Amino acid sequence: MTTATESSTVDERTSPGVRIRDLTVAYRTPAGELPAVSGINLDLAPGSITGLVGESGSGKSTMALAMLNAVQQPGRITGGAIEIDGLGDVLSLSPKQIRAVRGGSIGYVFQAAQNSLNPLKTVGKQLLDLGRSHGVEDRRALVRQARELLSRMGLSGERVLDSYQHELSGGMRQRVGIMLALVLNAHVLVLDEPTTALDMISQANILSIISDVHAERGLTTLVVTHDIGVVAEVADRVAVMYGGRLVEQGPTVDVLRTPSHPYTKGLITAIPRLTGDPDVARPLPGRPPTLGTIPRKGCVFRERCAVYAAGAREDCETLDPPAHDVGGGRLVACHAVEGEQ
Amino acid sequence: MSGEIEGVGIVKTYQARGDVLKGQAVQALRGVDFRIPAGGAASFIGESGCGKTTLGRILAGLETYDSGQLRVDGVDLSALRPRKREPYFRRIQMIHQDPYSALNPTRTVDAILTDPLTLRAKQTGRPKSWIAERQREVLSLVGLEPDYVLPRYPHQLSGGMRQRVVIARALTVDPDALVADEAVSMIDVSLRLGILKLLRELRETVGVSVLFITHDVATARYIGSDGELYVIYRGQIIEHGPTETVIADPVHPYTQCLLSAIPVLHGLERPGPDRLVPTEPLADSQSDTGCLFAARCPFVTDRCRTERPELGHDGGTGQEHACFHPERRHVVAVSA
Repeated sequence: MTTATESSTVDERTSPGVRIRDLTVAYRTPAGELPAVSGINLDLAPGSITGLVGESGSGKSTMALAMLNAVQQPGRITGGAIEIDGLGDVLSLSPKQIRAVRGGSIGYVFQAAQNSLNPLKTVGKQLLDLGRSHGVEDRRALVRQARELLSRMGLSGERVLDSYQHELSGGMRQRVGIMLALVLNAHVLVLDEPTTALDMISQANILSIISDVHAERGLTTLVVTHDIGVVAEVADRVAVMYGGRLVEQGPTVDVLRTPSHPYTKGLITAIPRLTGDPDVARPLPGRPPTLGTIPRKGCVFRERCAVYAAGAREDCETLDPPAHDVGGGRLVACHAVEGEQ
Repeated sequence: MSGEIEGVGIVKTYQARGDVLKGQAVQALRGVDFRIPAGGAASFIGESGCGKTTLGRILAGLETYDSGQLRVDGVDLSALRPRKREPYFRRIQMIHQDPYSALNPTRTVDAILTDPLTLRAKQTGRPKSWIAERQREVLSLVGLEPDYVLPRYPHQLSGGMRQRVVIARALTVDPDALVADEAVSMIDVSLRLGILKLLRELRETVGVSVLFITHDVATARYIGSDGELYVIYRGQIIEHGPTETVIADPVHPYTQCLLSAIPVLHGLERPGPDRLVPTEPLADSQSDTGCLFAARCPFVTDRCRTERPELGHDGGTGQEHACFHPERRHVVAVSA
């Protein structure tokens, strides 16, 4: 992937590219170390928004935390690399360096931003804390920057900085989360479930803010969510996770129109729609695996797979399907899809 | 089949507590009318804080109301003494949002189902042996394997299975209606449709009506495309009609904003031509005079700021709205 060096519209900075290679994260459990994320390869093109979709337990949040090398005990990154242009491999930075990167060049908006703010401090105080921990000297400039960001997102900077979190609505807190992630000029933005727990109208508002801020500031953005609708609305590319694997990735419009992996197909068919025959929606059989029930051998999805149910293939049971290129920038990890090639 | 449920002018006001807001009244419901035929489906949609959860709780007998009437099969429950009222609330059961907290973690599914069934056996004069039989019956109805789930504790089941247990528990007392408040929002996406499908099928297999409370219009449509849709805004029903009509041809600007906010599945759908965005976010301080949506409405006029439009019929479509300037707009996504 080449960096967009000629792009002059996007500020004077250039959005960094991110390359995740063979990332594996394991959790220590009574049953031994089990991989929650296993052998993930994913490129975030400079200036793109990538949507990472998965159900609970798919490893998507673990993966998002790994972007900051912030996987908590008993989890541990056991292998791989996350290369970010201008930073190098995030996983090999020293503790001091990574602390500067978190909230510095990589902004992170936490799942349920409503719960990630300190209830005892005003937003302004928390902003100054952030500045102090990152050695910001010009505090006035920091506050000015924060106010600009807040008013860009349709909030009154004055009022919000003087507020405690309980005085703000869910949508406002989410915007405060985005402000705190970007106020130190992050170039990479990771958002974990940015609209969960928000109403439809607030969700639409936050999504349009994410798209706009992304474009204005020339970011490379990763949106982690369980909601395909969210991805469909904002993301250029989508990556689908299941059982710790990336089972499919490609341009959002193409993946939605012609999903290749049986899981992606099933997930899209299971969305109730507002037009057409409501009976077109069909539930996906079975249930998502948990850390302990992910099959150790073969394809992690086979128990719920329509293709496997229609005619069991031996390699589905023995071999974890590798992701292969099916053209058009799309990668699919499925033996059956490989067979068609 | 019996179990027609009707609400007439239901009003609920909460008194705010605490030093700051003391004395301020919060109007959760401002005279709400609705009617759900036996075995029918009705969906209440709106943003959080619009009063839809309060309405569900009133229907399930978990909350009182200040004025108005709640009628089941034409009997006004508010006029009855508590003891006389009780049997009616047995007929309306609630499916809670969070299956993780709706089940007692220290009791097995067996125990969870035995209690209401023992009561039901006593009420209907059935022998004890009926209890075990009925347990298996309700579990099969909700698509669970009785031998697998009966000895298990809630934590040993997935979210989807837990929600099915909650539904099975509601069915033990032979209800006429299920009130489902955001019944799938805590459930994994690949399992949601399974639960929705179950609720839909129960309308046919058991003949229960389903009252679906949600902010997700697409799920409301899936459950009751043949039913009625009520759009609630700040405690007032501002649009109502057959589900498909309201979705395809909404006339109230608020309904239009709400439907416009639903993400478009680019690749499968194109955005609706008239997508609408409210001019302001929802704020606590918004005025109570005039139309409740006036402060956020893109089409507001002076009349809207001073006079409150009442819910009334719009031509012969069976659709009702509370707006001075109704106009059909096509806002939901169209299949590409």
